[in-house]
Amino acid sequence: MDFAQAIIEATSDVFNTMVMLEAAPGAPATEKTTAFSDAISGILGFSGDIKGMLRINCPNQVAMAITGSLLGMEVEEIDDDVRDAIGEIANMVAGGLKIYFARHNQNIELSIPTAIGGQAYTVHSLANAEWVAVPFTLANGVMLVELQFVGLK
Amino acid sequence: MSWDTHIADATVEIFSTMLMMEVNPLAPLTERIKTHQKSVTGIVGMAGLYKGMLAIHAPATAAMAITGNFLGLEVDDVNDDVKDAMGELANMLAGSIKAKLSDNSKDIQLSIPSAVCGGSYSLDYQPQQGCSMVPFESTAGRFLVELQLEQQT
Repeated sequence: MDFAQAIIEATSDVFNTMVMLEAAPGAPATEKTTAFSDAISGILGFSGDIKGMLRINCPNQVAMAITGSLLGMEVEEIDDDVRDAIGEIANMVAGGLKIYFARHNQNIELSIPTAIGGQAYTVHSLANAEWVAVPFTLANGVMLVELQFVGLK
Repeated sequence: MSWDTHIADATVEIFSTMLMMEVNPLAPLTERIKTHQKSVTGIVGMAGLYKGMLAIHAPATAAMAITGNFLGLEVDDVNDDVKDAMGELANMLAGSIKAKLSDNSKDIQLSIPSAVCGGSYSLDYQPQQGCSMVPFESTAGRFLVELQLEQQT
């Protein structure tokens, strides 16, 4: 299964139909980014035939643009709306991944999303899990969609 | 719905059997703490009959002491061992709580854990979920165990 393609399809679908913002996928990242500044990460766990975590990392500017477009209003600061919106984006992208995996006969169930935010934080997953990340370029910054997983079969 | 007792029982059990540490649950918090300073958080998703997230939040000093006990070595900074240990601890706590929520081990499945750390970061969940946050006292210092859970209907 092509996990980068799964990320691109699921993310593009959410951005085209729900967020209504252009998010151009780039080449999959070759080096891990673990440290984030002035950013929000929406994370969501999943389990089943594949178990792992999805993380959507957005600089604050990108998070505000996504929230504004999703809710149809001006967003000028990082507030609960933004944190909820980024959690919900993680939820929707994970829903798309679930469909993509099901087409390849791999069933997963989703956890609930959590939004992590701060001026400087790191996010780290199990060293031995597989890792795929795709950057998406928006008008005002780059969002990184990461998938870390282990197969059970 | 509150899961305080499950959290207290699971945490006391895991710390005494896996880390040989005695920990004492304090009164559950009535208002969740969402921002953590100079801390390490281990977090894991739960999916299936219940979906949610289990997190353990410890100040850096407590996280290092816990890791030292866990691995049986001296730890003097927040390195990858500490992040792995906190993630693994979240995994074990969620495994224990999952067994208390359902007799059928297939009803609830865990994702892989992640660890978050930084000088100041926040964790937000969407408001509709049930939440419990229980503080614990130990020789390593205080730490918090948090469960966000919703039962599927």
